[in-house]
Amino acid sequence: MATIELSGIRKVYPGNVTAIHDLDLSVDDGELVVLVGPSGCGKSTLLRMVAGLETTTAGTVSIGGAVVNRLEPSDRDIAMVFQNYALYPHMTVRGNLEYGLKNRGTPRTLIDERVAEAARILEIAPFLERKPRQLSGGQRQRVAMGRAIVRQPKAFLFDEPLSNLDAKLRGQMRVEIRRLQRTLRTTSLYVTHDQLEAMTLADRLVVMNAGRIEQLGKPTELYERPASLFVAGFIGSPPMNFFDLEYLREKAGASLPTLSDDSDIIGIRPDSIVLADPQEPSIPLRGTVELIEPVGGESHLHLRLEGSDQLIIVETPGRPDAAEGTLLTAHLRARALHPFNRQSGLRTA
Amino acid sequence: MVENRPFLAFLTHLVLILGVAVVVFPVYLAFIASTHGSGDFLRGLVPLLPGPHMIENYARMLNSGLSTAGAPPVWLMLANSLFMALTIAIGKIAISIISAYAIVYFKFPFRLLAFWLIFITLMLPVEVRIIPTFKVVADLGMLNSYAGLTIPLIASATATFLFRQFFLTVPDELMEAARVDGAGPLKFFRDILLPLSQTNIAALFVILFIYGWVQYLWPLLVTTDSRYYTIVMGIKRLAAAAESDPYWNLVMAAVILAMLPPVLVIIFMQRLFVKGLVETEK
Ligand SMILES: Nc1ncnc2c1ncn2[C@@H]1O[C@H](COP(=O)(O)OP(=O)(O)OP(=O)(O)O)[C@@H](O)[C@H]1O
Ligand SMILES: [Mg+2]
Repeated sequence: MATIELSGIRKVYPGNVTAIHDLDLSVDDGELVVLVGPSGCGKSTLLRMVAGLETTTAGTVSIGGAVVNRLEPSDRDIAMVFQNYALYPHMTVRGNLEYGLKNRGTPRTLIDERVAEAARILEIAPFLERKPRQLSGGQRQRVAMGRAIVRQPKAFLFDEPLSNLDAKLRGQMRVEIRRLQRTLRTTSLYVTHDQLEAMTLADRLVVMNAGRIEQLGKPTELYERPASLFVAGFIGSPPMNFFDLEYLREKAGASLPTLSDDSDIIGIRPDSIVLADPQEPSIPLRGTVELIEPVGGESHLHLRLEGSDQLIIVETPGRPDAAEGTLLTAHLRARALHPFNRQSGLRTA
Repeated sequence: MVENRPFLAFLTHLVLILGVAVVVFPVYLAFIASTHGSGDFLRGLVPLLPGPHMIENYARMLNSGLSTAGAPPVWLMLANSLFMALTIAIGKIAISIISAYAIVYFKFPFRLLAFWLIFITLMLPVEVRIIPTFKVVADLGMLNSYAGLTIPLIASATATFLFRQFFLTVPDELMEAARVDGAGPLKFFRDILLPLSQTNIAALFVILFIYGWVQYLWPLLVTTDSRYYTIVMGIKRLAAAAESDPYWNLVMAAVILAMLPPVLVIIFMQRLFVKGLVETEK
């Protein structure tokens, strides 16, 4: 159990590539913090600096209150789960689980106890004597998790641990990781590409962009009050729709709420646009249905707006009666608008 | 490809059988010759069936050799060859796996230069550098010694290159996982890299053992003392005995004996060897 403190850390790769710009982040004891961001924004770099697999150019990394900048990964008492699992192919599952403990000179009885415990929690006991290549992807993933938990480290570091699994298994493992982390209460940093994973796993969510933190907070906070255009566009699927303020003002008339002066671009989530008049302040927009994507309980309508040639996405429950090619009116709920300033990229209210 | 066409099957089998016959027949002849008495070849006809002198011929060659040809007993030459082939194979593998490890996993100044220097030695097999190498070995007083026989042949790059290529295919995450698991460089090498290289090592061992076994020119140069003769160069001496016609039966007995160890090595390492050539364990 420990906190992770990053202060002013920077990473410059050879060739003058700055992957991380003076970044501060603290993870509380027992908390699970998820890092998301577009490819190449430095998530893995950040994680690997915490692990000690990458040197830090500047700043300090502390784990459990002690500065660990100069410590080898093994001395930082962390465990890492890799995207491709990185199981030792020539060792059995048991061998994989034991290896880290053996290297630390853990007594035999304790090793056996820990391995048995991990095998029980992760339900991998039947495979203990198999080699990794004799396991399915999901089972390998469990073994990789097992290798992390047997050590009972101060912190878990996950680098896209589920991205090699199919969607169904990913869902299962996600729940399991959540459950496991809640029971063990081990401080965790988790990198992912997957929105759903990020939203459901995180105690706190960090959105990164080009080596900087864009916003940090509870997943619901980030969803409901994105602090910048970047976060607004990044969090949420289907993504937020954006409009020029001028365009909306023209269509809205009186129903446009008062906005601060520097707002010039307005965002709205697809689920805040409704087809039937919502009987509350709203902005009606007419457009042609270009495409209907039924996704189970709801449908995504791609609407080409009249007047501007903009394409917006509307999320509507069930199946709309409208057919592709028909003209209809969509209503933007006035209280669900997110105002931003295009220049600074920041939220204005 | 699995078709039931009797004529095609017949043809392919015929070709294969002919191929085998071409390879095996000389070996068979050598074996037959080694079982006859010395006079049986004077008629100029090679017998096709085994003769009665097999045990006698082999025993004679193994124990005392052909002293008229100035060659030691075959067992000594076999032992020399075995020692030489083993030392070369093990030495080359040990040196090259370690240097490949250094080149792939450690950052040190002039790493690339080191690699290319090692790589260049590929272009310099013994035959090319034979005169300077001989001079060096002679000046170091290593003529007529096992050191002289083996050391100059150990130093070359073939295996380094192969191991480097193999190490490059081992995912970095494996090394990182090992680092997190508390394995230092030596432990990682011993616990992870060596076991993973097992099949490659086996394949290389077979190839290098045979390479060492069939060395001819180099032993011929550095050994003048018959105690250090190797079997392959020894056969030449047996066959070129000065005064008389060669004792073909005895020479052939030596030839058959010389063929045995490589065959045994291949038979025993076959499983690993084929695995090493065919598949890379993921
Ligand atoms: N070893 C390296 N040398 C030089 N530049 C690197 C190195 N590793 C990463 N980078 C650069 O650093 C930046 C961040 O890389 P990083 O791997 O942390 O991204 P990421 O957020 O994990 O991306 P992804 O989601 O695709 O895994 C990238 O621009 C990348 O090109
Ligand atoms: Mg990454």
